[in-house]
Amino acid sequence: MPLTTELSLLPILPLASDTQVAEPQVDETTETDLPWIVLVWNDPINLMSYVSFVFQKLFGYSKEKADLLMIDVHEKGRAVVSSGTREHAEIDVFRLHEHGLWATMQKDS
Amino acid sequence: MGNHAEGLMRKRKKAGPVEALGEGNFRINLTEDERTTLLSFVDQLEEVLAAEHSDPRLRRLFPVAYHQDPELDAEYQGYMRDELSQSRAGSIATVREVLQAPDDLSESQLYAFMMVLNSLRLVLGTLLGVSEDDDTDDIDDDDPSFGQAQLYGYLGWLLEWTVDTLSNG
Repeated sequence: MPLTTELSLLPILPLASDTQVAEPQVDETTETDLPWIVLVWNDPINLMSYVSFVFQKLFGYSKEKADLLMIDVHEKGRAVVSSGTREHAEIDVFRLHEHGLWATMQKDS
Repeated sequence: MGNHAEGLMRKRKKAGPVEALGEGNFRINLTEDERTTLLSFVDQLEEVLAAEHSDPRLRRLFPVAYHQDPELDAEYQGYMRDELSQSRAGSIATVREVLQAPDDLSESQLYAFMMVLNSLRLVLGTLLGVSEDDDTDDIDDDDPSFGQAQLYGYLGWLLEWTVDTLSNG
């Protein structure tokens, strides 16, 4: 899968910050204040209705917001679905993997 | 795998395969044939999950987490991979129970059914090499992967119904 680091070129989507309050981070694994972002990549197997449903279930997004994210994943190849501390991002990635979605995380830049 | 998915779908009565009964109860209207077929898939999924980590069929079930940092990813896989396997094993156990009994399902049981159907599609789709431009409906019936493509279609149809029912039920 072609990877790119030019994340700043991505349209910045509404992030999870409006539904999830980042807790004060005291864990020393976080070296900087930069939050981590969770990306979901397009894949030809997962059904569109399934992907949108998973976004609603995992992040509490409305159907409208989940559909928009899903369409972004489909058309732009990926979308940022949540952000937060590294710990938080790992949990989100894990839950997305549990649901068979192609999710990765990286430090926001 | 066989290629009787089309037959399974043709035998279907008018009611959808998944139904919301209200009050958090659901029903899957599957024939004995379908239950048996799905159970054998679940067995096969369990076998695939037990395969070597490098097995290509597992590529989509255990994706990379840190795509920019192999070191962090190795660390992540070290503590998360087992947890992911256990979570899948839990869903598989639930689905096996559900398929073996005619009882109604709770929402969490139907949710597990949805996740297992999706895992099966991921494995089958990977085996079939499904890509964005492919349409598995176009595979000729003399193609060796015709049966798998039919099953892939069947699983997608069943998953769509499940998602739809969970969304609206």
